[in-house]
Amino acid sequence: MVASASSVHLSLDSLGLQRNGRWLFRGLTWEAPRGRVIAVVGPSGAGKSSLLACLSGQLAPTEGAVRCPLVGGAVPPAAGRARFGVVFQHFALSPNCTLLTNVLCGSLGRHPWWRTLAGFPRADKLRAWALLCDLGLGPLAHRRAGEVSGGEQQRTALLRALFQEPEFILADEPVSQLDTYLTGRVLGLLRQEAREKQRTVFCVLHDPKLVERFADHVLSLDPQNPGGWKVRHLHHD
Amino acid sequence: MTDRPAASAPSAVTIAAPPAPPPFRELPWHARITVSTVSLAAFLLLAVLSVRVLGGSGRALDTWANFRRFLGRFFPPDFSITGEALAALGETIQIATLATLFAIVLSLPLAVAGAQTLAPRWVVLSTRMLLNAVRTIPSLIWALLAVAVVGANPLAGVIALTFYSLGYLGKFYSDAFESVDPEVARALRALGAGTVQAFQYGLWPQARPLVWSHSLWMLEYNIRSAAIIGYVGAGGIGLQLHAYQEYYQWDRFAAVLILILGLVTTLDFLGEWIRRQIVRKTAAPAHP
Repeated sequence: MVASASSVHLSLDSLGLQRNGRWLFRGLTWEAPRGRVIAVVGPSGAGKSSLLACLSGQLAPTEGAVRCPLVGGAVPPAAGRARFGVVFQHFALSPNCTLLTNVLCGSLGRHPWWRTLAGFPRADKLRAWALLCDLGLGPLAHRRAGEVSGGEQQRTALLRALFQEPEFILADEPVSQLDTYLTGRVLGLLRQEAREKQRTVFCVLHDPKLVERFADHVLSLDPQNPGGWKVRHLHHD
Repeated sequence: MTDRPAASAPSAVTIAAPPAPPPFRELPWHARITVSTVSLAAFLLLAVLSVRVLGGSGRALDTWANFRRFLGRFFPPDFSITGEALAALGETIQIATLATLFAIVLSLPLAVAGAQTLAPRWVVLSTRMLLNAVRTIPSLIWALLAVAVVGANPLAGVIALTFYSLGYLGKFYSDAFESVDPEVARALRALGAGTVQAFQYGLWPQARPLVWSHSLWMLEYNIRSAAIIGYVGAGGIGLQLHAYQEYYQWDRFAAVLILILGLVTTLDFLGEWIRRQIVRKTAAPAHP
Protein backbone atom coordinates (compact mmCIF):
# COMPACT_ATOMS: atom_id res chain seq x y z
CA MET A 1 0.00 0.00 0.00
CA VAL A 2 1.32 3.39 -0.89
CA ALA A 3 0.46 6.41 1.18
CA SER A 4 -1.34 8.64 -1.26
CA ALA A 5 -2.04 12.00 0.32
CA SER A 6 0.59 12.21 3.01
CA SER A 7 -0.36 14.79 5.60
CA VAL A 8 2.10 16.77 7.65
CA HIS A 9 3.24 14.75 10.64
CA LEU A 10 5.97 16.82 12.22
CA SER A 11 6.79 20.45 11.61
CA LEU A 12 10.19 21.88 12.32
CA ASP A 13 9.77 25.58 12.94
CA SER A 14 13.05 27.50 12.37
CA LEU A 15 14.77 24.98 14.60
CA GLY A 16 18.26 25.85 15.84
CA LEU A 17 20.62 24.09 18.21
CA GLN A 18 23.79 25.42 19.74
CA ARG A 19 26.19 23.09 21.53
CA ASN A 20 29.46 24.15 23.15
CA GLY A 21 29.14 27.60 21.63
CA ARG A 22 28.75 26.30 18.08
CA TRP A 23 25.59 26.23 15.99
CA LEU A 24 24.92 22.77 14.64
CA PHE A 25 21.97 23.91 12.56
CA ARG A 26 19.83 27.04 12.39
CA GLY A 27 16.54 28.06 10.88
CA LEU A 28 15.64 24.48 10.06
CA THR A 29 12.09 24.74 8.76
CA TRP A 30 10.38 21.79 7.16
CA GLU A 31 7.14 19.88 7.32
CA ALA A 32 7.80 16.19 7.47
CA PRO A 33 5.06 14.15 5.81
CA ARG A 34 3.48 11.17 7.55
CA GLY A 35 4.49 7.65 6.67
CA ARG A 36 7.80 8.43 5.01
CA VAL A 37 11.39 7.46 5.56
CA ILE A 38 13.62 10.47 6.04
CA ALA A 39 17.37 9.92 5.89
CA VAL A 40 19.43 12.31 7.99
CA VAL A 41 22.90 12.64 6.49
CA GLY A 42 26.00 14.71 7.05
CA PRO A 43 29.61 14.25 8.13
CA SER A 44 30.55 13.22 11.67
CA GLY A 45 29.86 15.94 14.21
CA ALA A 46 27.26 17.61 11.99
CA GLY A 47 24.61 17.24 14.71
CA LYS A 48 22.60 14.33 13.30
CA SER A 49 22.18 12.61 16.68
CA SER A 50 21.43 15.96 18.32
CA LEU A 51 18.74 16.64 15.75
CA LEU A 52 17.08 13.29 16.56
CA ALA A 53 17.30 14.13 20.28
CA CYS A 54 15.60 17.46 19.55
CA LEU A 55 12.80 15.74 17.64
CA SER A 56 12.04 13.33 20.48
CA GLY A 57 12.21 16.09 23.08
CA GLN A 58 15.28 14.63 24.83
CA LEU A 59 17.12 17.83 24.03
CA ALA A 60 15.60 21.31 24.11
CA PRO A 61 16.34 23.30 20.93
CA THR A 62 18.16 26.61 21.40
CA GLU A 63 15.61 28.34 19.19
CA GLY A 64 12.52 27.39 17.27
CA ALA A 65 10.22 24.47 18.03
CA VAL A 66 9.17 21.01 16.98
CA ARG A 67 5.43 20.61 16.58
CA CYS A 68 3.53 17.46 15.95
CA PRO A 69 -0.16 17.96 15.24
CA LEU A 70 -2.25 15.56 17.28
CA VAL A 71 -4.61 13.19 15.63
CA GLY A 72 -7.95 12.54 17.30
CA GLY A 73 -7.73 15.12 20.05
CA ALA A 74 -5.48 15.39 23.06
CA VAL A 75 -2.80 12.89 23.90
CA PRO A 76 -2.13 12.30 27.61
CA PRO A 77 1.28 13.68 28.66
CA ALA A 78 2.62 10.28 29.74
CA ALA A 79 1.95 8.92 26.27
CA GLY A 80 3.86 11.84 24.76
CA ARG A 81 7.21 10.19 25.26
CA ALA A 82 5.93 6.87 23.99
CA ARG A 83 5.06 8.45 20.63
CA PHE A 84 8.77 8.46 19.74
CA GLY A 85 10.54 5.14 19.32
CA VAL A 86 14.26 5.74 19.57
CA VAL A 87 17.02 3.37 18.48
CA PHE A 88 19.94 4.69 20.50
CA GLN A 89 23.39 4.81 18.96
CA HIS A 90 24.76 2.72 21.83
CA PHE A 91 21.56 0.64 22.01
CA ALA A 92 20.98 1.17 25.80
CA LEU A 93 19.75 -2.40 26.23
CA SER A 94 19.44 -3.92 29.69
CA PRO A 95 22.50 -6.20 29.61
CA ASN A 96 21.29 -8.77 32.16
CA CYS A 97 17.84 -9.13 30.59
CA THR A 98 17.13 -11.55 27.76
CA LEU A 99 16.67 -10.28 24.21
CA LEU A 100 12.97 -11.17 24.55
CA THR A 101 12.58 -9.03 27.68
CA ASN A 102 14.47 -6.18 26.04
CA VAL A 103 12.09 -6.17 23.08
CA LEU A 104 9.13 -6.40 25.47
CA CYS A 105 10.43 -3.31 27.29
CA GLY A 106 9.24 -1.36 24.26
CA SER A 107 5.68 -1.85 25.51
CA LEU A 108 6.33 -0.47 29.02
CA GLY A 109 4.64 2.80 28.11
CA ARG A 110 1.41 0.94 27.29
CA HIS A 111 1.13 -0.93 30.59
CA PRO A 112 0.76 0.44 34.13
CA TRP A 113 3.63 -0.49 36.44
CA TRP A 114 1.70 -3.07 38.43
CA ARG A 115 0.82 -4.93 35.23
CA THR A 116 4.50 -5.50 34.37
CA LEU A 117 5.64 -6.18 37.94
CA ALA A 118 5.39 -9.94 37.49
CA GLY A 119 6.39 -9.99 33.81
CA PHE A 120 4.70 -9.23 30.51
CA PRO A 121 1.39 -10.56 29.15
CA ARG A 122 1.70 -13.75 27.15
CA ALA A 123 0.21 -12.18 24.01
CA ASP A 124 3.00 -9.57 24.06
CA LYS A 125 5.61 -12.30 24.48
CA LEU A 126 4.34 -14.15 21.42
CA ARG A 127 4.46 -11.00 19.28
CA ALA A 128 7.95 -10.10 20.49
CA TRP A 129 9.07 -13.66 19.75
CA ALA A 130 7.71 -13.39 16.22
CA LEU A 131 9.60 -10.12 15.68
CA LEU A 132 12.85 -11.66 16.98
CA CYS A 133 12.44 -14.65 14.66
CA ASP A 134 11.81 -12.25 11.80
CA LEU A 135 15.30 -10.78 12.15
CA GLY A 136 16.96 -14.13 12.79
CA LEU A 137 17.23 -13.70 16.56
CA GLY A 138 14.83 -16.52 17.49
CA PRO A 139 17.53 -18.93 18.75
CA LEU A 140 18.97 -16.13 20.93
CA ALA A 141 15.65 -14.95 22.40
CA HIS A 142 16.51 -16.27 25.86
CA ARG A 143 20.14 -15.18 25.85
CA ARG A 144 21.13 -12.14 27.90
CA ALA A 145 21.72 -8.98 25.85
CA GLY A 146 25.19 -8.60 27.40
CA GLU A 147 26.40 -11.86 25.91
CA VAL A 148 25.33 -11.48 22.27
CA SER A 149 27.26 -9.69 19.53
CA GLY A 150 27.02 -6.00 18.64
CA GLY A 151 24.97 -6.65 15.52
CA GLU A 152 22.54 -8.81 17.48
CA GLN A 153 22.19 -6.08 20.11
CA GLN A 154 21.58 -3.54 17.36
CA ARG A 155 18.71 -5.56 15.90
CA THR A 156 17.26 -6.06 19.39
CA ALA A 157 17.38 -2.29 19.99
CA LEU A 158 15.54 -1.73 16.73
CA LEU A 159 12.89 -4.31 17.61
CA ARG A 160 12.37 -2.67 21.00
CA ALA A 161 11.60 0.61 19.23
CA LEU A 162 9.21 -1.15 16.80
CA PHE A 163 7.50 -2.99 19.65
CA GLN A 164 6.74 0.37 21.17
CA GLU A 165 4.41 0.97 18.19
CA PRO A 166 5.37 4.63 18.10
CA GLU A 167 4.21 7.28 15.66
CA PHE A 168 7.80 8.25 14.98
CA ILE A 169 10.85 6.03 14.76
CA LEU A 170 14.16 7.79 15.33
CA ALA A 171 16.99 5.48 14.43
CA ASP A 172 20.58 6.55 14.93
CA GLU A 173 22.70 4.51 12.51
CA PRO A 174 20.56 1.39 12.87
CA VAL A 175 22.64 -0.69 10.46
CA SER A 176 26.20 0.30 11.44
CA GLN A 177 27.05 -3.22 12.65
CA LEU A 178 25.09 -5.32 10.17
CA ASP A 179 26.09 -7.18 7.03
CA THR A 180 24.59 -6.42 3.61
CA TYR A 181 21.77 -8.94 3.91
CA LEU A 182 20.66 -7.79 7.38
CA THR A 183 21.03 -4.14 6.40
CA GLY A 184 18.51 -4.75 3.63
CA ARG A 185 16.18 -6.60 6.01
CA VAL A 186 16.31 -3.90 8.70
CA LEU A 187 15.88 -0.93 6.37
CA GLY A 188 13.18 -2.83 4.49
CA LEU A 189 11.40 -3.38 7.79
CA LEU A 190 11.60 0.34 8.60
CA ARG A 191 10.23 1.18 5.16
CA GLN A 192 7.42 -1.30 5.65
CA GLU A 193 6.57 0.24 9.04
CA ALA A 194 6.42 3.64 7.37
CA ARG A 195 4.25 2.53 4.47
CA GLU A 196 1.90 0.08 6.11
CA LYS A 197 1.54 1.58 9.56
CA GLN A 198 1.96 5.24 8.64
CA ARG A 199 4.87 5.76 11.00
CA THR A 200 7.35 8.50 10.17
CA VAL A 201 10.93 7.27 10.24
CA PHE A 202 13.99 9.48 10.76
CA CYS A 203 17.10 7.47 10.14
CA VAL A 204 20.75 8.53 10.33
CA LEU A 205 22.55 6.84 7.43
CA HIS A 206 26.04 7.13 6.00
CA ASP A 207 25.99 5.01 2.87
CA PRO A 208 24.65 7.07 -0.10
CA LYS A 209 23.53 3.89 -1.88
CA LEU A 210 21.33 2.92 1.05
CA VAL A 211 19.94 6.46 1.19
CA GLU A 212 18.98 6.30 -2.48
CA ARG A 213 17.39 2.88 -2.05
CA PHE A 214 15.40 3.30 1.14
CA ALA A 215 14.68 6.97 1.84
CA ASP A 216 11.88 9.17 0.55
CA HIS A 217 13.51 12.39 1.70
CA VAL A 218 17.06 13.31 2.56
CA LEU A 219 17.77 15.92 5.20
CA SER A 220 21.43 16.87 5.03
CA LEU A 221 23.28 18.91 7.62
CA ASP A 222 26.45 20.86 6.98
CA PRO A 223 28.77 21.40 9.97
CA GLN A 224 30.57 24.30 8.21
CA ASN A 225 27.38 26.18 7.53
CA PRO A 226 24.61 25.79 10.15
CA GLY A 227 22.05 27.47 7.91
CA GLY A 228 23.02 25.33 4.94
CA TRP A 229 20.76 22.36 5.68
CA LYS A 230 18.99 20.90 2.65
CA VAL A 231 15.98 18.69 2.09
CA ARG A 232 15.97 16.60 -1.06
CA HIS A 233 13.02 14.53 -2.28
CA LEU A 234 13.69 11.18 -3.83
CA HIS A 235 11.13 9.71 -6.15
CA HIS A 236 10.26 6.17 -5.40
CA ASP A 237 7.45 3.97 -6.65
CA MET B 1 73.29 5.95 -5.02
CA THR B 2 70.83 3.09 -4.62
CA ASP B 3 73.47 0.37 -4.33
CA ARG B 4 75.23 2.07 -1.44
CA PRO B 5 75.28 -0.36 1.50
CA ALA B 6 72.75 0.64 4.11
CA ALA B 7 75.22 0.27 6.97
CA SER B 8 77.36 3.13 5.70
CA ALA B 9 74.48 5.58 5.62
CA PRO B 10 74.56 6.67 9.28
CA SER B 11 78.29 7.41 9.12
CA ALA B 12 77.61 9.96 6.41
CA VAL B 13 75.44 11.96 8.78
CA THR B 14 77.08 13.74 11.66
CA ILE B 15 74.94 13.24 14.71
CA ALA B 16 75.05 16.16 17.13
CA ALA B 17 76.38 15.04 20.50
CA PRO B 18 73.63 15.23 23.15
CA PRO B 19 74.07 18.17 25.53
CA ALA B 20 75.74 17.33 28.83
CA PRO B 21 73.08 16.54 31.46
CA PRO B 22 72.59 19.13 34.18
CA PRO B 23 74.13 18.15 37.54
CA PHE B 24 72.09 15.53 39.39
CA ARG B 25 70.22 16.68 42.50
CA GLU B 26 68.36 14.59 45.09
CA LEU B 27 64.71 15.37 45.66
CA PRO B 28 64.63 17.98 48.47
CA TRP B 29 63.44 16.57 51.82
CA HIS B 30 60.23 18.60 51.90
CA ALA B 31 59.14 17.20 48.56
CA ARG B 32 59.05 13.72 50.10
CA ILE B 33 56.47 14.62 52.70
CA THR B 34 53.28 12.95 51.54
CA VAL B 35 50.13 11.86 53.30
CA SER B 36 51.47 8.34 53.57
CA THR B 37 54.83 9.33 55.13
CA VAL B 38 53.16 11.71 57.59
CA SER B 39 50.58 9.14 58.63
CA LEU B 40 53.26 6.47 58.98
CA ALA B 41 55.22 8.80 61.28
CA ALA B 42 52.08 9.56 63.28
CA PHE B 43 51.33 5.85 63.60
CA LEU B 44 54.84 5.09 64.88
CA LEU B 45 54.61 7.98 67.36
CA LEU B 46 51.28 6.63 68.61
CA ALA B 47 52.88 3.19 69.04
CA VAL B 48 55.68 4.67 71.15
CA LEU B 49 53.16 6.53 73.33
CA SER B 50 51.18 3.28 73.78
CA VAL B 51 53.98 1.14 75.22
CA ARG B 52 52.45 1.71 78.68
CA VAL B 53 49.73 -0.92 78.12
CA LEU B 54 52.33 -3.69 77.68
CA GLY B 55 53.09 -3.48 81.42
CA GLY B 56 50.33 -5.97 82.29
CA SER B 57 49.41 -6.46 85.93
CA GLY B 58 52.88 -5.61 87.17
CA ARG B 59 53.09 -8.83 89.22
CA ALA B 60 55.61 -11.55 88.43
CA LEU B 61 53.45 -14.29 86.92
CA ASP B 62 54.61 -17.58 85.52
CA THR B 63 53.07 -16.75 82.14
CA TRP B 64 54.19 -19.87 80.33
CA ALA B 65 52.84 -22.21 83.03
CA ASN B 66 49.55 -20.32 83.07
CA PHE B 67 49.24 -20.70 79.34
CA ARG B 68 50.01 -24.42 79.44
CA ARG B 69 47.62 -25.08 82.30
CA PHE B 70 44.77 -23.20 80.65
CA LEU B 71 45.31 -24.77 77.25
CA GLY B 72 45.68 -28.20 78.89
CA ARG B 73 42.10 -27.95 80.11
CA PHE B 74 40.94 -27.76 76.48
CA PHE B 75 42.35 -31.21 75.74
CA PRO B 76 41.06 -33.66 74.98
CA PRO B 77 37.93 -31.91 73.65
CA ASP B 78 34.79 -33.57 75.02
CA PHE B 79 32.67 -34.44 71.99
CA SER B 80 30.00 -36.12 74.11
CA ILE B 81 28.02 -32.89 73.80
CA THR B 82 28.03 -32.95 69.97
CA GLY B 83 24.29 -33.59 69.78
CA GLU B 84 23.20 -30.55 71.79
CA ALA B 85 25.94 -28.42 70.22
CA LEU B 86 24.65 -29.25 66.73
CA ALA B 87 21.11 -28.37 67.84
CA ALA B 88 22.38 -25.02 69.14
CA LEU B 89 24.35 -24.46 65.91
CA GLY B 90 21.12 -25.14 64.03
CA GLU B 91 19.43 -22.44 66.10
CA THR B 92 22.33 -20.09 65.33
CA ILE B 93 21.82 -20.68 61.60
CA GLN B 94 18.07 -20.10 61.99
CA ILE B 95 18.67 -16.81 63.83
CA ALA B 96 21.13 -15.66 61.17
CA THR B 97 18.87 -16.69 58.27
CA LEU B 98 15.82 -14.83 59.51
CA ALA B 99 17.86 -11.79 60.52
CA THR B 100 19.42 -11.67 57.04
CA LEU B 101 16.01 -12.03 55.38
CA PHE B 102 14.50 -9.19 57.43
CA ALA B 103 17.58 -7.03 56.83
CA ILE B 104 17.36 -7.59 53.06
CA VAL B 105 13.69 -6.60 52.98
CA LEU B 106 14.24 -3.52 55.14
CA SER B 107 17.44 -2.30 53.53
CA LEU B 108 16.27 -2.36 49.89
CA PRO B 109 14.06 0.74 50.27
CA LEU B 110 16.75 2.36 52.42
CA ALA B 111 19.31 1.63 49.71
CA VAL B 112 17.16 3.32 47.08
CA ALA B 113 16.93 6.36 49.37
CA GLY B 114 20.70 6.25 49.87
CA ALA B 115 21.74 6.02 46.21
CA GLN B 116 22.87 9.32 44.70
CA THR B 117 21.57 8.33 41.29
CA LEU B 118 18.06 7.59 42.58
CA ALA B 119 17.14 10.01 45.37
CA PRO B 120 17.41 13.77 46.00
CA ARG B 121 20.56 14.90 47.75
CA TRP B 122 19.08 15.65 51.20
CA VAL B 123 17.42 12.23 51.33
CA VAL B 124 20.69 10.56 50.35
CA LEU B 125 22.67 12.44 53.01
CA SER B 126 20.23 11.73 55.85
CA THR B 127 19.86 8.06 54.86
CA ARG B 128 23.61 7.57 54.68
CA MET B 129 24.00 9.27 58.05
CA LEU B 130 21.41 6.95 59.57
CA LEU B 131 23.11 3.89 58.07
CA ASN B 132 26.49 5.06 59.39
CA ALA B 133 25.02 5.48 62.87
CA VAL B 134 23.52 1.98 62.76
CA ARG B 135 26.84 0.52 61.61
CA THR B 136 28.74 2.17 64.48
CA ILE B 137 26.96 0.03 67.07
CA PRO B 138 28.57 -3.43 67.41
CA SER B 139 26.40 -6.54 67.17
CA LEU B 140 26.98 -7.35 70.86
CA ILE B 141 25.50 -3.99 71.91
CA TRP B 142 22.50 -4.55 69.62
CA ALA B 143 22.11 -7.95 71.32
CA LEU B 144 22.23 -6.37 74.80
CA LEU B 145 19.55 -3.90 73.74
CA ALA B 146 17.36 -6.61 72.23
CA VAL B 147 17.70 -8.86 75.28
CA ALA B 148 16.68 -5.95 77.49
CA VAL B 149 13.57 -5.43 75.34
CA VAL B 150 12.33 -8.94 74.48
CA GLY B 151 14.19 -11.06 77.02
CA ALA B 152 16.94 -13.68 76.66
CA ASN B 153 15.78 -15.82 73.72
CA PRO B 154 16.52 -16.41 70.04
CA LEU B 155 14.08 -13.64 69.05
CA ALA B 156 16.46 -11.16 70.64
CA GLY B 157 19.21 -12.55 68.41
CA VAL B 158 17.09 -12.10 65.30
CA ILE B 159 16.25 -8.50 66.22
CA ALA B 160 19.85 -7.64 67.10
CA LEU B 161 21.32 -9.07 63.90
CA THR B 162 18.57 -7.54 61.75
CA PHE B 163 19.53 -4.05 62.88
CA TYR B 164 23.22 -4.83 62.70
CA SER B 165 22.99 -6.11 59.10
CA LEU B 166 20.74 -3.24 58.06
CA GLY B 167 23.60 -0.79 58.40
CA TYR B 168 25.84 -2.87 56.15
CA LEU B 169 23.36 -4.08 53.54
CA GLY B 170 21.85 -0.60 53.16
CA LYS B 171 25.26 0.78 52.28
CA PHE B 172 26.28 -2.14 50.03
CA TYR B 173 23.02 -2.04 48.09
CA SER B 174 23.25 1.75 47.66
CA ASP B 175 26.73 1.34 46.23
CA ALA B 176 25.48 -1.43 43.95
CA PHE B 177 22.68 0.79 42.61
CA GLU B 178 25.12 3.65 42.06
CA SER B 179 27.57 1.46 40.16
CA VAL B 180 24.93 0.58 37.53
CA ASP B 181 25.03 2.34 34.16
CA PRO B 182 22.09 4.82 34.36
CA GLU B 183 21.82 4.98 30.56
CA VAL B 184 19.46 1.99 30.31
CA ALA B 185 16.95 3.31 32.85
CA ARG B 186 17.07 6.71 31.14
CA ALA B 187 16.38 5.08 27.76
CA LEU B 188 13.41 3.20 29.18
CA ARG B 189 12.04 6.43 30.67
CA ALA B 190 12.42 7.98 27.22
CA LEU B 191 10.33 5.29 25.58
CA GLY B 192 7.48 5.81 28.02
CA ALA B 193 8.24 3.62 31.05
CA GLY B 194 7.25 4.83 34.51
CA THR B 195 9.64 5.19 37.45
CA VAL B 196 8.94 1.73 38.84
CA GLN B 197 9.23 0.13 35.41
CA ALA B 198 12.51 1.90 34.63
CA PHE B 199 13.87 0.66 37.96
CA GLN B 200 12.57 -2.88 37.51
CA TYR B 201 13.76 -3.39 33.92
CA GLY B 202 16.61 -0.90 33.55
CA LEU B 203 18.42 -0.81 36.88
CA TRP B 204 17.46 -3.81 38.98
CA PRO B 205 18.61 -6.50 36.47
CA GLN B 206 22.10 -4.99 36.53
CA ALA B 207 22.25 -4.56 40.30
CA ARG B 208 20.66 -7.92 41.17
CA PRO B 209 23.79 -10.13 41.03
CA LEU B 210 25.65 -7.68 43.27
CA VAL B 211 22.71 -7.42 45.67
CA TRP B 212 22.46 -11.18 45.97
CA SER B 213 26.21 -11.60 46.37
CA HIS B 214 26.23 -9.05 49.22
CA SER B 215 23.23 -10.78 50.81
CA LEU B 216 25.02 -14.13 50.81
CA TRP B 217 28.08 -12.52 52.35
CA MET B 218 25.85 -11.01 55.05
CA LEU B 219 24.29 -14.40 55.80
CA GLU B 220 27.74 -15.87 56.21
CA TYR B 221 28.78 -13.00 58.44
CA ASN B 222 25.60 -13.24 60.51
CA ILE B 223 26.14 -16.92 61.21
CA ARG B 224 29.55 -16.01 62.60
CA SER B 225 28.09 -13.12 64.64
CA ALA B 226 25.19 -15.26 65.85
CA ALA B 227 27.72 -17.59 67.44
CA ILE B 228 28.87 -14.75 69.68
CA ILE B 229 25.72 -12.84 70.58
CA GLY B 230 24.51 -15.86 72.56
CA TYR B 231 27.04 -14.74 75.16
CA VAL B 232 24.63 -12.02 76.28
CA GLY B 233 21.64 -14.34 76.13
CA ALA B 234 20.41 -13.91 72.59
CA GLY B 235 20.19 -17.63 71.83
CA GLY B 236 22.18 -20.04 69.70
CA ILE B 237 25.55 -21.67 70.20
CA GLY B 238 26.96 -18.68 72.10
CA LEU B 239 24.64 -19.47 74.99
CA GLN B 240 26.29 -22.89 75.32
CA LEU B 241 29.79 -21.46 75.01
CA HIS B 242 28.94 -19.07 77.81
CA ALA B 243 27.57 -21.86 80.01
CA TYR B 244 30.65 -24.07 79.56
CA GLN B 245 32.85 -21.11 80.39
CA GLU B 246 30.87 -20.38 83.57
CA TYR B 247 31.28 -23.98 84.75
CA TYR B 248 34.93 -24.23 83.68
CA GLN B 249 34.11 -27.09 81.28
CA TRP B 250 36.88 -26.14 78.91
CA ASP B 251 37.01 -29.53 77.19
CA ARG B 252 33.40 -29.08 76.11
CA PHE B 253 34.14 -25.44 75.24
CA ALA B 254 36.90 -26.69 72.92
CA ALA B 255 34.55 -29.18 71.25
CA VAL B 256 32.05 -26.40 70.51
CA LEU B 257 34.82 -24.17 69.13
CA ILE B 258 35.92 -26.93 66.78
CA LEU B 259 32.34 -27.43 65.57
CA ILE B 260 31.98 -23.66 64.96
CA LEU B 261 35.29 -23.67 63.10
CA GLY B 262 34.03 -26.50 60.88
CA LEU B 263 30.78 -24.66 60.09
CA VAL B 264 32.43 -21.33 59.39
CA THR B 265 35.09 -22.87 57.15
CA THR B 266 32.46 -24.74 55.15
CA LEU B 267 30.41 -21.57 54.78
CA ASP B 268 33.45 -19.64 53.70
CA PHE B 269 34.24 -22.03 50.87
CA LEU B 270 30.63 -22.41 49.81
CA GLY B 271 29.88 -18.68 49.91
CA GLU B 272 33.05 -17.81 48.04
CA TRP B 273 32.25 -20.36 45.34
CA ILE B 274 28.64 -19.23 44.90
CA ARG B 275 29.61 -15.55 44.77
CA ARG B 276 32.28 -16.24 42.17
CA GLN B 277 29.72 -18.07 40.01
CA ILE B 278 27.22 -15.20 40.26
CA VAL B 279 29.68 -12.48 39.42
CA ARG B 280 31.43 -14.41 36.66
CA LYS B 281 28.16 -15.24 34.94
CA THR B 282 26.81 -11.69 34.91
CA ALA B 283 29.71 -9.25 35.09
CA ALA B 284 31.92 -10.47 32.25
CA PRO B 285 29.90 -10.95 29.06
CA ALA B 286 31.31 -13.85 27.09
CA HIS B 287 30.94 -13.51 23.36
CA PRO B 288 29.90 -16.69 21.60
